[in-house]
Amino acid sequence: MSDARRVVVTGLGIVGPLGIGWRETWDAALAGRSGAGPITRFDPEGLGCRIACEVDGFVPGDFVDRRAARRMDRASQLAVAAARLAADDAGLAVDGEAERVGVVIATGNGGSETFEENHRLLLERGHDRASPLMVPVTIVNMSAGHVAMQMGARGPSSCVVTACASGNHGIGDAAAIIRRGAADVMLAGGTEAGITPFCMAGLDATRALSRRNDDPARASRPYDAGRDGFVAAEGAAVLVLESLEHAAARGAEPYCEVRGYGASADAYHLTEPDPSGRWQVEAMRMALERGGLEAAEVDYVNTHGTSTPAGDPVEIAAIRALAGDEAARGIAVSSTKSMHGHGMGAAGGFEAVLTALAIREGAIPPTINVEELDPACAGVDHVLGEARRVPVRVALSNSFGFGGHNAVLALSAAEGA
Amino acid sequence: MTGNGRVRVAVTGIGLVCPLGIGREEAWAAALAGRSGAGLITLFDASELPVRMACEVPGFEPGEFMDRKAARRMDRYAQLAVAAARLAVEDAALPIDRDGAGIGAVIANGGSGAGSREEQHRVMLERGPDRVSPFAIPLSVANMGAGQVSIELGLRGPVTATCTACAAGTDAIGTAVDIIRRGDARAMLAGGADALITPYFVAGFDAMRVLSRRNDDPAGAARPFDRDRDGFLVGESGAVMVLEPLEAARARGAEVLFEVAGYGSSNDAHHLTDPDPSGVPQALAVTAALRDAGVAPEQVAHVNAHGGGSRPGDPSEVRVLRAALGEEHAARVAVSATKSMHGHCMAATGALEAALAGLAARDGAVPPTVNLAEVDPECVGVDHVAREARRLDVPVAVSTSYGLGGHNAALVLTRAGEGG
Repeated sequence: MSDARRVVVTGLGIVGPLGIGWRETWDAALAGRSGAGPITRFDPEGLGCRIACEVDGFVPGDFVDRRAARRMDRASQLAVAAARLAADDAGLAVDGEAERVGVVIATGNGGSETFEENHRLLLERGHDRASPLMVPVTIVNMSAGHVAMQMGARGPSSCVVTACASGNHGIGDAAAIIRRGAADVMLAGGTEAGITPFCMAGLDATRALSRRNDDPARASRPYDAGRDGFVAAEGAAVLVLESLEHAAARGAEPYCEVRGYGASADAYHLTEPDPSGRWQVEAMRMALERGGLEAAEVDYVNTHGTSTPAGDPVEIAAIRALAGDEAARGIAVSSTKSMHGHGMGAAGGFEAVLTALAIREGAIPPTINVEELDPACAGVDHVLGEARRVPVRVALSNSFGFGGHNAVLALSAAEGA
Repeated sequence: MTGNGRVRVAVTGIGLVCPLGIGREEAWAAALAGRSGAGLITLFDASELPVRMACEVPGFEPGEFMDRKAARRMDRYAQLAVAAARLAVEDAALPIDRDGAGIGAVIANGGSGAGSREEQHRVMLERGPDRVSPFAIPLSVANMGAGQVSIELGLRGPVTATCTACAAGTDAIGTAVDIIRRGDARAMLAGGADALITPYFVAGFDAMRVLSRRNDDPAGAARPFDRDRDGFLVGESGAVMVLEPLEAARARGAEVLFEVAGYGSSNDAHHLTDPDPSGVPQALAVTAALRDAGVAPEQVAHVNAHGGGSRPGDPSEVRVLRAALGEEHAARVAVSATKSMHGHCMAATGALEAALAGLAARDGAVPPTVNLAEVDPECVGVDHVAREARRLDVPVAVSTSYGLGGHNAALVLTRAGEGG
């Protein structure tokens, strides 16, 4: 494959429950720290679930002009911050090649907080007090728009929404944009700021959330026999993707290569995964095949692993079906959602950042909180409790979303780069 | 395959559930007849609002297209998406086996399940968080048009939603074209759906002063490029196309309506809501689409313009076309803004307009910009198809969309057999 069609990751930006910036996040992930706590963004009185993984200490003014920040939902503020961190990390200067730099920022809910606030005001005070910002601050694409504006990126810009798979679709689509030659560099990832009264009430009503309110740090426990749902998270993660040719020309050092992107759908149920896992297997198979990789080469899978009773075993069975039972026992698996929670539209971004670092640093962050492995989730090499130092050449990052969307990224060491 | 070895992409089916009618030919006939889909708002009580009109889908019965129980678990936008997708698949006579492997969908959305979200949020405020429906989130999120189309039709290829506001339908088709070209699906359903005739969105758009307030004359209110334009009308729609590799479509004996030959996109990186007045970044999208199609600007006979009818937007759009097509050629290009008839259907609008542009190529007939009584001097420089449809040979058409957030997207549609 020509260097123009090979896509590498050259910058990482994350503003999440484990920290601001990739170093802080990575240290916390290797240390097995939880980002969960009682909800402080609003008063969760009356909800079954009153815990979440919030971003602590985020000051929008550190990343964006205060006046501009006031016209953004928190989802967009987080996205712009992550994009700036990623561009700085990559040493990327957008000026001078603005037309060749694009943006894909995925999200699940868009500007929830600003929607709820504006809608409440509309109901209380009537339409004549409606704000001219109530549409532009809330719509799902605005984080992509703000990132393009703040970074001066004039290339293709998009927002992909596929619920909890959004971030992976966003990164996969961005890689495809580079491969087809429509851009040299893409800022790609996801954002979510859904720790809001309505989003949390809605998620709570689906019974998908953990209700272990008395022990937030141990509530997200993928693969544990006592798991009872996911812990919602907020944050944003953006990766700088560029063609290998472009990265090499400017002397940028890749973290890893985006080898393949697989997408499929369950077409089964609004909120439940197809219990056969067949279409999750198909998405993994497709990601590997497009990257010219074999299942036997996979060293690590950063799983979707949300900690729901129904979802976790399906994904492990899918990994076993992909690789075969024997090979699957040798594949290292962890769900970092046990620490950073379920970032929904940002989840794919969070996990791509951690997977890229696993490849570059040769270390796999653990699944924490597994006291008793659910036998239905056995059959792979779970990295439990503590990080593991081990070379990682090929890794998969899985995301599956409400609506039956499956998206998988195959990442590998950037060989020959 | 084209000369550069790339897969050519054919449109073999179109499903429209829009203010101009339900079904491809009904809507197309209305567009050629220059009918308006505007009227007073009936979907909610708008009597107290400064804007009381919109372009609603007349006579839409979700139960004709899906199981009633399934329909109750969908926001109106997802119902419109499913209905349009079903019509498109029937129109294409696309075989979907039990597996549905290799057939995907990109169904764009702009405002999420707005009606359901407003209703459920009101329930929460009035009756408490524990009264929120377990379907509140699945009803509200922006990916459920795509998700429900996949579930209802049994599609198990790539299924996503590109949500770039008013450019979303165009980006959805472009994204689906790339999925087919790179071999990740053997057929794609692509388009958009939005149902934003809701209290929040009508009040919100009105607060931005982008809507026409000509309530006494709904049919005459949307008047892109006219001197007296005062904004757009909110429309709702589901608009979906079936895309397949041209060779595969021919091999199964499908009728090829037209081809999608090129796609380009860019961002203004300029302002939250206003277009870059220079037109330079928007022209990048048009130029990229023409380059992608391997088409020279001089080959473009017709443009279905974004034509939102806004004071600053319309002149900027004419500048874009003059920059991208060359001033001399732009003056000869037949330009229509069909939003004058179907309103601004948000995430569906790009797909609806691309369908109309493609049908113009198929039939050699260009729908008009209705209500264009006197061209604004700031909007001259292209050949406006004012008031009445025109017979015209259209080997190549372009459809453009520009969205809040600075998203610009363009598609090149060619008469069947013309591309490559």
